[in-house]
Amino acid sequence: MSKFNSNIVVGLALLMLIFSSCKKEEFGPQCINCEENAISPSIQNDVIIVNEGNFGFGNASLSLYNSTSKTVHNSIFQQANNYPLGDVAQSAYCFEKKIYTVINNSSKIEVIDKSNFSSIATITGFDSPRYFLPINSSKAYVSNIFSNKIDIINLTNNTISGSITTSSNWTEKMLVFNDTVYVCDMSNNKLILINKTNNQIIANISVGIQPNSLILDKNNKIWIMCDGGFNEANAQLIKFNPNIRTVEQTFVFSNISDSPSNLIIDSSKENLYFINNHIYKMNINDMSLPSSSWVSNNGEVFYSLGIHPTTYEIYVSDAKDFVQNSTIYIYSPNQQLYHQFQSGINAGHFLFLQ
Amino acid sequence: MKLTSVIFIFLIVQTTFGQMVNDTIKFEPFVVEAFAISSTYKTTKLDSATTKSVENLAQLLQENSTVFIKSYGSGSLASVSFRGTGAGHTRVLWNGVSLNSPMNGQIDFSLYPTPFFDKVELHYGASGLIDGNGALGGSVNLQNSLPNFNDSLQSIKLNYNYAMGSFNKQIHSGKIAYKGTKKWFYETRIFHTKADNNLVYYNFAKKESPEEKLQNADLEQYGFQQAIYKKIKNQTIGMRFWYFNSDRNLPPTMLVIKNDENQKDESFRLLLHTNGFKNKYSYKVSTALIHDKLIYNNKLIDINSKNKALLVDNHIDVNYFINDKITFLNNVNVRYEEAKADGYDNEHNRFNNSWLTGFSGNFKRLNWTIFNRMTIVDDFFKPIAPSVSLGYQLPKLEDVTLKAAVGINHNYPTFNDLYWTPGGNPNLKPEEAKMSEVGLKYHKTFGKTTFTTENTFFFAHVSNWILWQPSSGSIWSPTNLKKVENKGFESTLNIKYKLNKVDLSIRGNYAYIISKNIELPKNTDNALNKQLIYVPQNQFNSSLNLSYKNTSLSYGYQYTSLRYISTDNNWYLPANYISNIGISQKIEVNPATFNLRFQVNNLFNQTYQSITWRPMPLRNYMLTISINL
Repeated sequence: MSKFNSNIVVGLALLMLIFSSCKKEEFGPQCINCEENAISPSIQNDVIIVNEGNFGFGNASLSLYNSTSKTVHNSIFQQANNYPLGDVAQSAYCFEKKIYTVINNSSKIEVIDKSNFSSIATITGFDSPRYFLPINSSKAYVSNIFSNKIDIINLTNNTISGSITTSSNWTEKMLVFNDTVYVCDMSNNKLILINKTNNQIIANISVGIQPNSLILDKNNKIWIMCDGGFNEANAQLIKFNPNIRTVEQTFVFSNISDSPSNLIIDSSKENLYFINNHIYKMNINDMSLPSSSWVSNNGEVFYSLGIHPTTYEIYVSDAKDFVQNSTIYIYSPNQQLYHQFQSGINAGHFLFLQ
Repeated sequence: MKLTSVIFIFLIVQTTFGQMVNDTIKFEPFVVEAFAISSTYKTTKLDSATTKSVENLAQLLQENSTVFIKSYGSGSLASVSFRGTGAGHTRVLWNGVSLNSPMNGQIDFSLYPTPFFDKVELHYGASGLIDGNGALGGSVNLQNSLPNFNDSLQSIKLNYNYAMGSFNKQIHSGKIAYKGTKKWFYETRIFHTKADNNLVYYNFAKKESPEEKLQNADLEQYGFQQAIYKKIKNQTIGMRFWYFNSDRNLPPTMLVIKNDENQKDESFRLLLHTNGFKNKYSYKVSTALIHDKLIYNNKLIDINSKNKALLVDNHIDVNYFINDKITFLNNVNVRYEEAKADGYDNEHNRFNNSWLTGFSGNFKRLNWTIFNRMTIVDDFFKPIAPSVSLGYQLPKLEDVTLKAAVGINHNYPTFNDLYWTPGGNPNLKPEEAKMSEVGLKYHKTFGKTTFTTENTFFFAHVSNWILWQPSSGSIWSPTNLKKVENKGFESTLNIKYKLNKVDLSIRGNYAYIISKNIELPKNTDNALNKQLIYVPQNQFNSSLNLSYKNTSLSYGYQYTSLRYISTDNNWYLPANYISNIGISQKIEVNPATFNLRFQVNNLFNQTYQSITWRPMPLRNYMLTISINL
């Protein structure tokens, strides 16, 4: 009968465990280390990390980092609002003291107060939004995947006021220069030019295969990174002159498996950085692609890249196996690892507040 | 061409057996039915009474075993894993034929309504090798009983069930069985279900957790199964055809506002088999043709993906009874797998053949089984995958049996692993599991009480575990990167008590599982020695059945501890504990027997999720009426 007794003991122990676990109500996914460092109203920070989370898991989050005190706060949206950010946070943009966070699979933009991270409004009605670009104080554009349009947002009442029909079903990063908005068209390998006043498409200009990111340099030239697709063509870095609307220079990556992304530029608008497994640095006047990496990934999975506007420190995320919290590495301008810390799952975007 | 040769083999073999003349030795009927898995392994047997009270296989296993069910919600995709392994490490067999998709190696357990089979047997760990390769965790055997030809009386049996429940659920199922003269037997089963599944839940993913109704979750499923058997002397020849059709809209998660997804599944399964015995041989020869179609449609993002798979699975199982103590086992499996998917550049096929040889026997108080399965899949030749198991009845305590088993099994990469574009890796190696277990079984009857308990410790290593990771840029690709250690403890307890017209039965199952990564790629140190995601450490379920005369009352309870959802174990889904209660009444009006059953699921109205942000039903009801003639 001893087995009988032991089973009863196990059963009773379990019952006790079950009833004791009823105390705190927990619904849905929970994070153990996220609220270790609670946010407070007087918080002063300069970096927001957008953690994508996993598709369908609804574990997207925002992390907050102070580059002076090196303190980190995770899941700040959940902390400030008591509900999760959403499913797959793609990007964020800070405009007029509001943080516009684009939540791709939740088809929404959370408009967040920069001072306390509470949600001011939720813009809904998107298909699959990717990036946000303000045009003026009352208008912004939002690019989309799986949808042949760029949504136009009315920033006064936070609604979608219209859209620009494109022939692309994947528009990605955008920038505005003078009167024109430049949009990466991933599906047609084009750069879409839109007149920002009347929202009309001006031109579709061919670039390399899959343009994923673009930036503007100090000479008012646009640099476009084309990753080449999955062994479809060699990747290209393109220098584009917006004034005469022509490609001025094309740098071709030598290896078909190269898949560069995350093109960024420092505040001097002179030095380009991008990820191609490792981090590379290139001056806008260089005549060829960098032959060696600026910082080696050392076996890590470099996923996204950012540069601090005043300290010039490089922020890079390591997404590891994509199912756990990312590590953020900060490199000083002299390539030295300056600091590292943990953020949320799949840190995919850095936003520097000014 | 390949198909023809397979059928040819089947015909040849059958003819050979048909030419045998003598039949002198008499075997117990169960020996002929199938080679019963040795009791020295850990198994769970669920009989027809248990299978009748639930809707589908997922629910059956959830309530009656400690395998882990991952369910996307009521009527939605459900997968099953054993002892900390993955869903692709569970083999599902229908009368001995593995149904696992060659595309992802898995089975959607929500597509298997219980009226289509009579018995379910779970084989844990090393015992899964009996059923074929790939069962690194275990296997689920769905069985249709063979007709009983022991008497030559003509008989007809009719059974019809109608169930209606919450969320506009309606289920019809029926079975008609006719046993004619001259040892012919016919059986037809039909099934139809429809549900809106528009369950109500609190959306705590939104400000102030509003009450919402699940959208786009309606489904309709139907199917039939036709069987014909004929007994000729000591040989039974049978045919069983099973058609199933499912059309489901796929609901969004609680964080998605807009979605328009649909999945259609269609299956054709034909099984021809002959079982019998001659002299000192018992044999089972079968050939099966399985054709599965899956169409996934997402209108919002304009995706319409079609997938088709074909399996031709042939078995020649011959057991030779050397003497009354030793049996020689010899099973050959010739299996052809073919699949076409929008994710592949072209159609792919392969042979997945294996040959099991071994011996089973008893020596005084010791029962033993030893065998080896040799496998050839594509270019892989694995000559050695052995298993040994022992069961020893204690000499002074005859109610106690000590058991031990060890074994090796391999799981071959799926077509998705090998050929998915982009990312598929044709250089993958098979995954390998080394499994072991020791246990103690105790069975005793004290007067009116029967008491059975089985307690098992298990330990397993799975190496070359296939892991999908990003390779270049954002392209995901599988590699044999991971090594996992699974260990734990399983305990079952059954008590039956009978007094006059009162029947009481109490059943409890408990499992404790530690499943952790012990080898990983360099950059994922934070996941090393951590519990795998979606593997609960503790699972417990129990049921209590009380019946008096024609009335019975049942109570079921299931506890699942927290499941981690990130590999560094920083994120988790909280534990859940669900209770169900049911009452049923049997009414006999000659010649018919009516049965009325009312069931309350999730009695205490618990909010829980089995998969992140997929709402599970709150308290819900079901009323079932069945008629037996």
